[in-house]
Amino acid sequence: MSYTNALHDEAHHHDNPTGWRRWLFSTNHKDIGTLYLLFALTMLFMGGASAMLIRAELFQPGIQLLDPDLYNNLVTNHALLMIFGAVMPAAAGLANWMIPLMIGAPDMALPRMNNLSFWILPAAGTMLILSFVVPFFPGGGSQINTGWTLYPPLSVQVGMSMDFLIFAIHLLGISSVLASINIIVTLLNMRAPGMTLMQMPIFCWTWLVTAFLLILVVPVLAGGVTMLLFDRHFGTSFFDAAGGGDPVLFQHLFWFFGHPEVYVLLLPSIGVLSHIIPTFARKPLFGYKSMVGAMIAVGTIGMVVWAHHQYTIGMSLGAVSYFMIGTIIISIPVGLMIFNFIATMWRGAMTFETPMLFAVAIILMFTFGGLSGVMLAVVPADMQYHDSMFVVAHFHYVLMPGAVFGLFAGVFYWLPKWTGHMYDERLGKIFFWINVTGFNLTFFPQHFLGLAGMPRRIIDYNVMFTEFNAISSVGAMIFGFSHLLLLYIIIKTIRGGEPATNRVWEGAKGLEWEVASPPPFHTWETPPLIRQEQTS
Amino acid sequence: MNPRNDQLRHKNRRLAWILGGFALLVLITSFPFWQNIFKVLGEAVR
Repeated sequence: MSYTNALHDEAHHHDNPTGWRRWLFSTNHKDIGTLYLLFALTMLFMGGASAMLIRAELFQPGIQLLDPDLYNNLVTNHALLMIFGAVMPAAAGLANWMIPLMIGAPDMALPRMNNLSFWILPAAGTMLILSFVVPFFPGGGSQINTGWTLYPPLSVQVGMSMDFLIFAIHLLGISSVLASINIIVTLLNMRAPGMTLMQMPIFCWTWLVTAFLLILVVPVLAGGVTMLLFDRHFGTSFFDAAGGGDPVLFQHLFWFFGHPEVYVLLLPSIGVLSHIIPTFARKPLFGYKSMVGAMIAVGTIGMVVWAHHQYTIGMSLGAVSYFMIGTIIISIPVGLMIFNFIATMWRGAMTFETPMLFAVAIILMFTFGGLSGVMLAVVPADMQYHDSMFVVAHFHYVLMPGAVFGLFAGVFYWLPKWTGHMYDERLGKIFFWINVTGFNLTFFPQHFLGLAGMPRRIIDYNVMFTEFNAISSVGAMIFGFSHLLLLYIIIKTIRGGEPATNRVWEGAKGLEWEVASPPPFHTWETPPLIRQEQTS
Repeated sequence: MNPRNDQLRHKNRRLAWILGGFALLVLITSFPFWQNIFKVLGEAVR
């Protein structure tokens, strides 16, 4: 797609607010995107610290550093911080920064609501951290030992920290839904004149599907935890069998949210890859239309296969057969996306800068995670693997490469555009290798641990699992501390460096590369005119 | 106010309200009141 920017003038007449007011009252998509990314980075370190404590405890059999309740509290806290605090806000940060630039819009459609969506997050994050901390104070009740799934009846019995967590989830849900509404409205109503839906950059498409998924599933989680709150305090029996309720209902409600949530985390990163791979292969993305179709298929099928997380609850043969077949069918559109990426690279003039290194690693490791997912989708096999460390290995192989590495790749890819400085490529590559090596050292051995029978979410283990656990814990320390290098690279890039050109990367295409690096405070106040020559 | 901007703002708000209403509907239907509705309807048909 080409465009004309005849009227584009960066509108110097607008105020550029400064100081704390710039951030607190901001309605500017770039500033709010930056806030989202900073919040996500903070949560990444907090969630990472809890993960490192978990792995430090598991370095040896026996109980060394933590007590069982604290261990389970950390497991719960780690998952919630990473999913709701780090990955979702980071993806929202990329969306805020890039969507208006990519579609030629001056800002998000509802800028004040955008401000609200972000500023709910620190309050929610505080509640989330309080849910972890409160039990350590006198009268604070018991620690949350349910894991992120919050299954009743255990979650009904936990102390007041569960109430903090429920309200944190409510706030996080409100923030997500508001942000999703904003993104959908922006993508449907604010595209530059002449840009059809099928000409939108793939990152925008991934966010359109993600935002619809969020609107469909987050309210269900909100409903589930609200009923949990009522069961805890108002004498209802939604999930209490003694009162005529059903604890399995909560599992269905939770996973109706929880499974599509996996795609909520994955799709934005798939969108990032869809830009990085063509840029560094110096070829257009192979199969734009099939990518769009595949992500809609993933979103749609992903909505109706949630109970594969619940095979062991005793469903009918018909039900488990349906959920098994549906789950396996998802591998078709996901595989199509992977093949499209490989076809894009095929005979391309590839170079391997840090974002591309991450992209290639993601394809390899995410595919590996997908394969263990097919194993888990098969009912008789899952009966063996259920609640074992194999599941932990599987979902970390899906979510770390599929979501987090995709976000890292996006940060390296767009950091020169945001800051106006090139990051240190040598340090970027060092970070990549340490990070990926640490990740594989941590999670690859967990497959063997799970297959040999080590359960997840248990503080102690049999001595026969010692060696693989030691390797995994050493890997986790390397992996965890490697993120300090990421932080250093980001700070160094913000503070200075080789000036970035507007296009930054030789093979980069799209409207976002037509504005200056860093972009001025206001962009595309006069929309670019899109000439319909090609559609990708 | 530019009439085109005003029109766009109205269009944006309308779509946001529709999506917000949809999210609220999903929230309400996640409460299992409909289980008994199905039961009552099933008994009525029988």
